[in-house]
Amino acid sequence: MQESSKVIGYILLLFGTLSLIFSTFYEHVTLAFIGLGLTFWGALLLYIKPTKYVKTSLLDSTALSSLTTTSQIITDLNYKGKAIYLPARYLKKTKGEKVFIPSKKSLVIPPVEELAREKVFLKNPKGICLTPPGLDLVNLYENELRKDFAKVDLNYLQNNLPKLFIEDLEIAEDLEINIRDNMIRVRIAESIYKNLCKEARKLPNICNSIGCPLCSSIAIALTRAAGKPVIIEKNIISEDGKIIEAQYRIIEE
Amino acid sequence: MQFPLSFWDLSLWLAVTAIILLVTSELISPYYGKTNILVNKKRLRQTALTIGILFLITVAIRIYGIITSI
Repeated sequence: MQESSKVIGYILLLFGTLSLIFSTFYEHVTLAFIGLGLTFWGALLLYIKPTKYVKTSLLDSTALSSLTTTSQIITDLNYKGKAIYLPARYLKKTKGEKVFIPSKKSLVIPPVEELAREKVFLKNPKGICLTPPGLDLVNLYENELRKDFAKVDLNYLQNNLPKLFIEDLEIAEDLEINIRDNMIRVRIAESIYKNLCKEARKLPNICNSIGCPLCSSIAIALTRAAGKPVIIEKNIISEDGKIIEAQYRIIEE
Repeated sequence: MQFPLSFWDLSLWLAVTAIILLVTSELISPYYGKTNILVNKKRLRQTALTIGILFLITVAIRIYGIITSI
């Protein structure tokens, strides 16, 4: 597809240039219009050709295995706690948030000293500290918006993430973010991750804890902007899989 | 040997091209759910706006010409 559009672009460009040369030589108006049109559309075809596209099924297959592994580890360790997205400053870093899953159901945040050691398995409090699945996605959001989320507030995300999701990255057809105190409701329509989200739902300890890469990326963006720990409170997907509704909570320190 | 199109011919061509591109750009906008068309929509919109602005510049030149000729 990409190659054929490139070839057509070059052919149009060639015929357009020839037509323009002949029109100047014979002083022919119609030939000049044809030449102008062909040259312009040829150049345009080459300019607007798509960047590399991949099928969404390939995207799902690539991401699912790592999510399954994470789910298996948590299930095997019998950790019951809800995943807590920790800001990078807890790890004495500027970037690179972590997600902490406590062994018990209570919401407990490990001390900075414990986290700064960058161990996967923590002893006090007992739990597991992992790199969240959406970390690189959120870095991509920052690159695309040319903004450091650590230097913006939640309103910035509320105003700019919908455009990024719909227009720039074409991740979803619609995105709504509602902020009420420390609760954030996110509604995503027709996401390219909908099949992955459906599959991830079958895995224990993923959707309502760590979240799929998309929900995880939003959690990290919120953590980065708020500078406070965030948890995924609820995560619902409609029956047809078209709408994903996630509810996040900012934990006050 | 001379390029056969005048300034006004080019202005007309710019107007027609700008309309086609602006309408296309609007119709395939992701806001209408047409996310399956494999073109760089951002670049298409930029081109449409550039051509539109170029046409407006030719109009401005024409208006300036009319005003100064009175």
